[in-house]
Amino acid sequence: MVKGYMNKWLKVNLTTQELEEFTFSDEILRKFIGGKGIAVHYMWEYAKKLEEKRINLQEMDALSPDNILVFATGPVTGTKSPNSGRHHVMALKSPLTGSIGSGNSGGRWGAKLKFAGYDGIIVVGKADRPTYLSLIDKKAELHDATELWGKNSIETSDWLRTKHNVKRAGVSCIGPAGENLVPIAVIMNEEHRAAGRTGLGAVMGSKNFKAIIVEGKAKPEIANPKEFGSKVKEHVEKLKENGVTGQGLPTYGTAVLVNIVNQNGLFPTKNWQSGVFDEAEKLSGETLTEEYLISKHPCYGCVVACGRKTKVDKGNYKTSYTEGPEYESIWALGGSTAVSDMSAVIRANHYCDILGMDPISMGSTIAAAMELTQNGKIPEDDSQGLKVEFGNPDAVVELAWMTAYRQGLGYWIGEGSRKMCQHYGAPDLSMEVKGLEMPAYDPRGAKGIGLNYATSNRGGCHVTGYTIAAEVLGDVDRFTIEGKAELTKTFQDFTSIVNSSVNCLFLTFALGLDEYAEMIGPITGWDVNADELLKTGERITNLERMILNKLGLSGKDDTLPKRLTDEKMPSGPSEGQTVDLETMKQEYYHLRGWEDGIPTVSKISELGLN
Amino acid sequence: MKVLVKVFATLRKKYPEINDMNPLVLEFEEGVTAKEIIKKLDFQISEIHLILLNGRKIKPETSISDNNGILSLFPPIGGG
Repeated sequence: MVKGYMNKWLKVNLTTQELEEFTFSDEILRKFIGGKGIAVHYMWEYAKKLEEKRINLQEMDALSPDNILVFATGPVTGTKSPNSGRHHVMALKSPLTGSIGSGNSGGRWGAKLKFAGYDGIIVVGKADRPTYLSLIDKKAELHDATELWGKNSIETSDWLRTKHNVKRAGVSCIGPAGENLVPIAVIMNEEHRAAGRTGLGAVMGSKNFKAIIVEGKAKPEIANPKEFGSKVKEHVEKLKENGVTGQGLPTYGTAVLVNIVNQNGLFPTKNWQSGVFDEAEKLSGETLTEEYLISKHPCYGCVVACGRKTKVDKGNYKTSYTEGPEYESIWALGGSTAVSDMSAVIRANHYCDILGMDPISMGSTIAAAMELTQNGKIPEDDSQGLKVEFGNPDAVVELAWMTAYRQGLGYWIGEGSRKMCQHYGAPDLSMEVKGLEMPAYDPRGAKGIGLNYATSNRGGCHVTGYTIAAEVLGDVDRFTIEGKAELTKTFQDFTSIVNSSVNCLFLTFALGLDEYAEMIGPITGWDVNADELLKTGERITNLERMILNKLGLSGKDDTLPKRLTDEKMPSGPSEGQTVDLETMKQEYYHLRGWEDGIPTVSKISELGLN
Repeated sequence: MKVLVKVFATLRKKYPEINDMNPLVLEFEEGVTAKEIIKKLDFQISEIHLILLNGRKIKPETSISDNNGILSLFPPIGGG
């Protein structure tokens, strides 16, 4: 048995209420590590079984009982290696995008799942009534969740901790948005952390599955404790000495990015009509720290502490306690909507947290609604007196609440920008890729991130290949397309390793693949190096792509909105720029060994995936 | 020649009143380098990770010759 793992997975069939424990072979663990990698492996095998049952994956409803949810940790999760409290959640199909569902979350739930005695959980089927799962001290049980239905993330967590008498238990749950099958719903944990993006909360809601509470005292065994301890010490020192992880993130949180991205002219404003927001300072990490911060809030084992505990003391959006908002949420709910009132952004973000929704998709879709209004596309009957106009903080806060309950225009916000803009007859105003709203960097000002948005398996996403670290925060030329294919591929494959380990992506500001080998090697006992890990990352990215291909996605879906490829950035430091996606994409496919977005037989064979 | 200097993140500990909407306006001879301005502001060059002139990355040795140019100074920062 490989060390570092609990060597126990739980399969929950909600239809039959059966619980089954199983393990993965040592060979499979080495090939896919854990977290996202092992989830992708499981889903690939599961997808093949569905096909054998003659279920058409392309036509399968993401909210049908056949869809699957995988909650996964990896060998690094829950160890003394820094920032190792995270977990990864995947669904075979996203209700928002029709592509794969995927989200990675901080907090402590991932570590607690291992302490409860499990590496991961597979959830299939559909319960006939609201149900939750407890995994406490190696014991798994399903329970009636009727009393929990309708409760928000805070109420749900409090209720479960009280019921099971475990004060600091990890609780992963959906809020009302997930129950109401809102396609931008997320799965929350520790009340304010989310496996965000791609509507995983709606998949959970469709299964009548409300929550998972985890707690325990089990600990993963370490293969070589002495070497591991010495590497942990070295890695912590590197993180403390690094300017980003030692100073910038701890002091200001992720919102420290608002000013630098805006100064570079790639802070998407007014639904990506501009790359500069004149009032960005009011939304900055500096402002958040000065006016709204209560204290820092680290995740499990974190030495960075970018998490924020915040409050709003005065005005219309008083909030006595919340967490965040993160850079992305601030941009989506603020910059994208041209709302400079930080207190409104905090309030709207708080609603996303407690009701269980993705603030990126929320803010971006509200911004698209604002541009639809600007163009006279939304009838007054639909907006019901709410002024859905750029710069109106009330619209953002109100719509965030209405979306969770599918009220009024909130129905269309919850459907995401693609469906909403199609409904109102202006599909080009939807700023998404594969149906997933893009995050807070306009690729006209950093070309590599455009290639990543286009090719990321889960859709318009930055954290699957964060080239911004090199293009904006580092010394790579942000405007050139030269070398961006290789940069993107490397970032994507490395990130697959981070999300399979599972720990925090922010470590990669200070630690590289060598350090990842220094963690995974002593934990598992494998003689592993950076080259093997990068190859493993490539294998995971490719297998995930092969699932996309089964779902009917290919090169035609690796694209960007026309605004980014055809409309020049109108002003600011990125003025005049567009994205030459096609050139970068062809080079990227060549490097990947893909044809039209599909891995070739020889690439599949090279990676041991046939 | 006027240069509008903006400092961000931890650099504001020294200049808390300077921000994007309230830059520090300084007079320099044409051709002044970013490094000289950084020195004038009493920062060590090692404290500065990124220098932008009108939103474009420049090196410390780069000469500045545009009147009302915006010089943005950042320590190492990141996020996502």
